[in-house]
Amino acid sequence: MILLQLAINGVLLGGVLALSALGFNIVFGVMRVVNLAHGDFVVLAAVFAAFGFAQFGINPLLLLPLTIVAGFAAGALVHYALLRRLPGEVASAEASSLTLTFGLSYFLTGAGLATFGGRFVSVPYLTGAFRIGEVSVPQARLLAFVVAVVLSLGFALLLRSTALGRAIRATSQNLDGALACGVDVDRVRTLAFAIGTPVATAAGTLMSFLYNLNAQQGVLFTVNAFAVVVIGGLGNYTGAVLGALILGLTESFASYFMGATLAEAAPYLLFILVLLFVPGGLRGRRAA
Amino acid sequence: MTGSVPFLKRAVLPLAAVAVVVLILAPLRLNGYAINLLYVTVLSIALAYGWNIISGYAGYFSFGQIAFFGVGSYATALIVVNWHWYWMAAALAGGVLALLLAIPLGYVMLRLRGPFFAMGMFGMAQMVRVLVTAIPATGSGSGLFLPPGSGITEVYYWTLAICVGAIGLTVWIDRSAFGLRLQALREDEQVAATLGVETTRAKITAFGLSALIPGLLGGGYALYLTYIEPDAVFSSRLDLQSIVMAILGGLGTVWGPLIGGLVMTQISEALWARFPQIYLMIFGGLLVVLLIALPRGIVPAFAARFARRSGT
Repeated sequence: MILLQLAINGVLLGGVLALSALGFNIVFGVMRVVNLAHGDFVVLAAVFAAFGFAQFGINPLLLLPLTIVAGFAAGALVHYALLRRLPGEVASAEASSLTLTFGLSYFLTGAGLATFGGRFVSVPYLTGAFRIGEVSVPQARLLAFVVAVVLSLGFALLLRSTALGRAIRATSQNLDGALACGVDVDRVRTLAFAIGTPVATAAGTLMSFLYNLNAQQGVLFTVNAFAVVVIGGLGNYTGAVLGALILGLTESFASYFMGATLAEAAPYLLFILVLLFVPGGLRGRRAA
Repeated sequence: MTGSVPFLKRAVLPLAAVAVVVLILAPLRLNGYAINLLYVTVLSIALAYGWNIISGYAGYFSFGQIAFFGVGSYATALIVVNWHWYWMAAALAGGVLALLLAIPLGYVMLRLRGPFFAMGMFGMAQMVRVLVTAIPATGSGSGLFLPPGSGITEVYYWTLAICVGAIGLTVWIDRSAFGLRLQALREDEQVAATLGVETTRAKITAFGLSALIPGLLGGGYALYLTYIEPDAVFSSRLDLQSIVMAILGGLGTVWGPLIGGLVMTQISEALWARFPQIYLMIFGGLLVVLLIALPRGIVPAFAARFARRSGT
């Protein structure tokens, strides 16, 4: 029974991790930028939701549209005003985008600490659990899972069936090909960053049900998203869902069987092993 | 890069000699706060030089070199506490241990490239930290106390010596065939291999040197803190700070880490004193702005401007 319980916890966590990783994946896929500020967008949204709940009793789900719009605006601004200005042809282009998002990460952490303080907060929302036999399903986790799945499907639909989605996928598959077909790559990049960021902030709002967080925990979610994306295969969106489930299950089982300290290392071990032995990810093409 | 600035090239040796003498005499004149600040500055610059070899010259961007710093710290602390060695001997052993660990680790990890290597190394550093926490001999995460006695001055001289050594090593790499091999594999690893560069050996050598330097520095840091715990010595902040210094100064240049380090520590100290509340915000924002203004770093930008003006 305990195994089933751990599996349920792992899958529920995996759903939210998948949503967070989706945002990271779009940005990496289209721009080959490892966005080190990804986790900070997640955490800022989570802390904001907790703040709204504690101060004004606002239901975090009502905040979702607001965080999504704010995330879109912030993402568009960051790319248009900052990332776009980095020279692309310098040998250290990869390094400079890493450094830029690293600086952005510090900026967001600092802004979060200055605005909301350093206390660890979460949303005590739907603290009950459904009991099915001996297994219990925490309501908040279930809700976060369901919303994450709905949002992920929404974004998947956007990527699959709209002209913008096709342009985004074309740019991530083959830059020259996309250019040759008349895709406005500059615009697609700005939009990809502008879409990736609200995915992160939406995931963060849901994370506020699951974790105690302060503005400094961003790196945790950056690493999680990176691990999910690496496990699933870069630029592969269904693979990332698989990766998120594997990571969620690993965290759930490892913290039960190995204790909290050693379990911290489990996701890292998992993604290093995948990098070394399945370099393209479980469902991906070979890593470029 | 200094090659394009002939005036500076002639001035480098005398300037360096004066700087070293001033830095050696500095502790005689400085108060406790100032010498602490000086130690931390020299430490970060030395770390930046260590990182610059594998990441600047060889182009393998690592987010995990701090693992070797932590290993050096813990090895030194354990040797001093259990075997009562003189701490500098213990720190030397810590550096050698870091180097020995780096060789097999490099053999495995350097198969990864680009962001995969960067994040793989980040994960590796986290795993080493967790493993250290799990071993009972290290105090299982609650930390280790070192016997008091060796003052900040000793630690400072040790660190200064390693920093000067790291700069000397970088000067040598920048002019040697080994440095050319590293730069060749940074630009295109396959072409380098085709031209007869033994890429694996060159990469692992660079990785080893980039582990030895933080390994040696770690022991001094343990003595400086007198009490170490995993989060203090596997400090991602120290790691990232040294990376930013190297990039800000100019990736893969001889003087980049020094210039970047001096600029960064000055800015960071001034901000910390005046705006402690929003320090992180300003620091991050400044980094972003500087990066857009000088994408290749301070040293290359300066060298290019100088070269243009003198018409060479």
